[in-house]
Amino acid sequence: MSADADLAACGTTVRPAGDGDAVAGVLPRWVALPETTEDVSAVLRVAAAHDLAVVPTGAGTMLDWGPPPGRCDLLVDTCCLNEVLEHAAGDLVTRVQAGVTLGALGETLASQGQRLVAEPPLAGSTVGGMLATGVAGPLRFRYGTSRDLLIGITVVLADGTIAKSGGKVVKNVAGYDLGKLFTGSYGTLGVITEAAFRLHPLAADSRWVTAPLPEAERGQELAATLAASVLEPAAIELDRPVPGGGMLAVLVEGVAAAERAKAVQDLMGVDAEIGEEPPSWWGRLPGEDLLLSLRGLPAALAATLRVVDAHAARLALTPHVRGSAGTDDLHVALPTSSDPDRVAGFVSAVRDEIRPLGGRLTGVALPPGVAVDFWGETGALGLMRRVKDRFDPDHRMSPGRFVGGL
Amino acid sequence: MDPELIKDCVHCGFCLPTCPTYVLWGEEMDSPRGRIQLMDQHVHGTPVTDEMAGHLDACLGCMACVTACPSGVRYDRLIEQTRAVVEEEHTRTPEERAVRAMVFALFPYRRRLRAMRLPMALSKRLQPLLERANPTLGAMAELAPPAARPVRLPPVVRARRRRRATVGLLTGCVQGEFFPQVNAATARVLALEGCDVVIPPRQGCCGALSLHSGREAEAKRFAMRTIATFERAGVDTVVVNAAGCGSSMKDYAEVLKDEPGWSGRADALAVRDLAEFLVELGPVAERHPLPVSVAYHDACHLAHAQGVRSQPRELLGGIPGLDLREIAESAICCGSAGTYNLFQPVAARELGDRKAERVLATGADLLVSANPGCTMQIAAATRRAGKGEIRVAHTAEVLDAALRGLSPQTLGWVTEDAG
Amino acid sequence: MSTLQRLTARLSEILDQDSVITDPVRLRTYDCDGLTYHRATPGVVVLAESAEQIAAVVRLCDEYGVPFVARGSGTGLSGGALPRTDGVLIVTSRMRRILEIDIPNRRAVVEPGVTNLAITEAVRDQGHYYAPDPSSQQICSIGGNVAENSGGAHCLKYGFTVNHVVGVELVTPQGEIVELSDRDPGYDLLGAFIGSEGTLGIATKITVRLSRTPEAVTTVLAAFTGIEGGGRAVSAIIGAGIVPAAIEMMDALAIEAAEAAVHCGYPEGAGAVLVVELDGPHAEVDHQFAAVERICRETGAFEIRVAASAEERAAIWKGRKSAFAAVGRISPAYIVQDGVVPRTALPEVLAGIDRLQEEFGIRVANVFHAGDGNLHPLVLFDDAVPGQGERAETVSGRILDLCIEHGGSITGEHGVGVDKSRYMPRMFSEEDLDTMQLVRCAFDPKGLSNPGKVFPTPRLCGEVPGVRRGVHPLVESGAAEQF
Repeated sequence: MSADADLAACGTTVRPAGDGDAVAGVLPRWVALPETTEDVSAVLRVAAAHDLAVVPTGAGTMLDWGPPPGRCDLLVDTCCLNEVLEHAAGDLVTRVQAGVTLGALGETLASQGQRLVAEPPLAGSTVGGMLATGVAGPLRFRYGTSRDLLIGITVVLADGTIAKSGGKVVKNVAGYDLGKLFTGSYGTLGVITEAAFRLHPLAADSRWVTAPLPEAERGQELAATLAASVLEPAAIELDRPVPGGGMLAVLVEGVAAAERAKAVQDLMGVDAEIGEEPPSWWGRLPGEDLLLSLRGLPAALAATLRVVDAHAARLALTPHVRGSAGTDDLHVALPTSSDPDRVAGFVSAVRDEIRPLGGRLTGVALPPGVAVDFWGETGALGLMRRVKDRFDPDHRMSPGRFVGGL
Repeated sequence: MDPELIKDCVHCGFCLPTCPTYVLWGEEMDSPRGRIQLMDQHVHGTPVTDEMAGHLDACLGCMACVTACPSGVRYDRLIEQTRAVVEEEHTRTPEERAVRAMVFALFPYRRRLRAMRLPMALSKRLQPLLERANPTLGAMAELAPPAARPVRLPPVVRARRRRRATVGLLTGCVQGEFFPQVNAATARVLALEGCDVVIPPRQGCCGALSLHSGREAEAKRFAMRTIATFERAGVDTVVVNAAGCGSSMKDYAEVLKDEPGWSGRADALAVRDLAEFLVELGPVAERHPLPVSVAYHDACHLAHAQGVRSQPRELLGGIPGLDLREIAESAICCGSAGTYNLFQPVAARELGDRKAERVLATGADLLVSANPGCTMQIAAATRRAGKGEIRVAHTAEVLDAALRGLSPQTLGWVTEDAG
Repeated sequence: MSTLQRLTARLSEILDQDSVITDPVRLRTYDCDGLTYHRATPGVVVLAESAEQIAAVVRLCDEYGVPFVARGSGTGLSGGALPRTDGVLIVTSRMRRILEIDIPNRRAVVEPGVTNLAITEAVRDQGHYYAPDPSSQQICSIGGNVAENSGGAHCLKYGFTVNHVVGVELVTPQGEIVELSDRDPGYDLLGAFIGSEGTLGIATKITVRLSRTPEAVTTVLAAFTGIEGGGRAVSAIIGAGIVPAAIEMMDALAIEAAEAAVHCGYPEGAGAVLVVELDGPHAEVDHQFAAVERICRETGAFEIRVAASAEERAAIWKGRKSAFAAVGRISPAYIVQDGVVPRTALPEVLAGIDRLQEEFGIRVANVFHAGDGNLHPLVLFDDAVPGQGERAETVSGRILDLCIEHGGSITGEHGVGVDKSRYMPRMFSEEDLDTMQLVRCAFDPKGLSNPGKVFPTPRLCGEVPGVRRGVHPLVESGAAEQF
């Protein structure tokens, strides 16, 4: 039987793809709309039988992240996997389907005074999207990223096998943690269908303290002082639209947030202001279409920014840097109109120069014309290749979107 | 070896970080847990092999593991029983036998020790030579303290204020011979705090060295003689200022459990470490300021075998002007451990160096400890490290200085000019 | 000459004579870890001093097809470091250097044999500490913590080893030295490796995250007449939106044992004690303390003690931390169990344990991390009484069944090891286990790294991914399962 016929018969809605379904410019032939994990399994079994390349998607807010897939026949859209399966408030745990948006989940949890402290910097994203990309928001400084909050996961492998690991208790070391492996795997190992998270109480009170970001080492020292402070800020973010001008914002949460914010203000200097609302740029990406991820060591922040500035000046580019100064996990956005060759030159040059400082620059979203190794070097590519070969021997899951062309 | 005592070990490993030989070598069979496993093997029929004896001999008997053990394993008892078995069943090399014979013929006897003082002092110059000939002889030479002025103690020292207690004082072999000033200080402190101090002449060895080396019969003989001596002196409390002696005297009832009548006589004699006794008694004498910084070293036989840790600190901390400093890794043995530095000189030296490094790191003016073996050992190590001399004193001497209002400069002997 | 003997003969190419143990008396001292129930004398023991040595030994194992097991301090409670009589035991207790302390970047680089507490001791003066704190922290090694993804009383607030390790250098089962870093792009192999119980390779260098010492710490001991009151207090504390650093509970029997061992002086007549530790900025802790105290009173605490100094805090913790070993004082033998249930299921599960005690005539002492539903029932028995050991085993297994029934886990922190591999199929489906096995095969296609642990049946890896070959003789004989 043809793939068309098998897909039609697999019990899940499958529609032909339209222009709006392109993945980083690659147009699939079908879009499947499963409602359960079993549906996903059935669809993937058909895909396996017909050697179809599969890309999972949620709300599509980050679908274009990563290099374009080498091929893409079937888009598995998790939009209908949108149920909050369980919110055990007394256990501070929730279990959800992957297509639930973080906004919807947040509302459900807030009704009982709780929250998931992982929050992607894009409105409308789904739980599945957040896990697949591993993207994190400001609170990563205090609580870690989604991988640190994920306590159980259900996935469907390329051959349709349904597998789960972890569970719905916060403390559990039985078996391998597949959740860690799938978080940040960009859809290349299988489809995430369900996830369980540990939750936190909503903050009793919050204050943001903002001040101009001091340049160079002074900025780095201030970030370090705040990060090591016994005042325990929940987040330390910087926003630097242009070299030499930027803001530093610190979030303080808790019953005594107001009092502690005053102490943070003292640390941040005379220009610091306390607010009850976050600055407008808080928890948002600095750009969308031309975006890079810059990770490094906190004590190399100033040196890293100097490298970025130097190459940007040399290539007449205008980088906008934003992200967590507490963990030195930043995003760099360039104007979409930037010359692709210069962007490629910028990426390679900065990447090479920050590596000795412990820094890594990787692509997040790059226009097609930017000819550069998207991910750059990584430490254990051989092992990663072996993992990919075991999970997806025919390389049909989001092929080519990940490190080393996996 | 008592299989029931062996069974108490649940193999949790909490003893490992406190064991000096485990700290040095990182091997299971040189840890208390591993040694108990070796004992278990023997109980189940494995003969004492050279390897087994080697690992058991390497135990310092510091008893830090006893303090650390949450299951209450009586390792102290086990290792004593085991040492006796090893002595009996294991044939040592002729050289080992000769060295052991020499030490046991010498240390428990004051007169013989006294006779050794001159040759030991001389031998310091020959130390490198001796070291090459036999590490034990080298170690003995290196450890030798300066020749002390003999101090003759009266048979009774009367309380210097209203009498609150009457106690006996054990003078000890090594303490009495090499550090007679410590005994004098002890007697003065006790008297100033209101005690009549009875010091029986011709006290013999308390048996500690023999007991800790598996020489059971000898240990019993010494124990019975010591009990009889203090019974004759008419005291029911004996104050001891040497940690090793105190710990074995507190074990007399166990050592003599098979000797009809003796266990009860042992029980009737209350043995107290000086610091323990003084804290129980409570201070009455005035402490004069003593501006000096002190690093206090826990002697294993005091801290671990007797559980006396807070009392010396309390006494020292109670002296106005005295700056008390803690030594890192305080629970780890300095490597002296009775006769250990004589039988296992290489390991003892490594431990001594480790301890000296941490003592020097405190930057204190004075090293204080309640065991002569420890102070000799650490002083030798600082000398080896080329860090010059560290002044050392016994807790009793520091208290004595504070009670008599002496200057801190009077405290502490150094060994540079020895011999 | 056996394969192992041939391999042993070649170890002298890699290691000094005193780093290879072949003497049978010495080997026996390595026959178990903290779980003495399972014993096996290793074929040979290697005391490694560098990653290069470990890699070379592992390459020899790969060449000869000989299994190997890594061991740190040997304090694990699931037999994860149980040696193989036909294999090599690679011991890391001599690799205990702290290689780098980097306060500005809040991290330290250590060798695997460094003890958990040694890291905190090394950075305490600089206002930092290493957060995961298993009860055995003064002796358990970081390498072992990585293998087991160890937690501790404070993981309720601060998480586990996996949340505090940012890099690992490991020797793969094929003898390659590979670096995993949280900053590198690609799969989170670091997250997959941590907690893999030595089945994916041996950690040879670990980069840990250091945490800032909190400004204030308050420890509260609340005594209740029974376990129910304590349970109500825990629920109310969590319900009030407070996340304490730790909430620990002990029942009457566990208190009795701790009292016998360390004279911790817990309130007389307590049927349960709750230890609640709050930490953070002064202002927050003061507020939370007031709430916790009120909640404990409201839920029936008859005595509340507050530790104001480090010494008083240590005194409160002493009873709790000694509890496992202390049970030896009230029972000749016992099994330490480790199960997890959703916190709200605690009362039901405890009632179930009570029923088991009655049914089998076996006493169970309960110590648990109440905040996260991690139970440590201590199943007491007398091995001199015929049949009691078996009954205790049954009770211990039934407790795990209870945990699974209530949506929990068979292990919260001790690991699966050799002890619980048979329970894995009760918690996971064949497909789940097969999928986990894909990770194993990627790292260790020959299955030489700590075989027989974690997974219930020996499984083989197809030699070429995706291609099925003929039936393996082991599969045919039923000794193994091809997946």
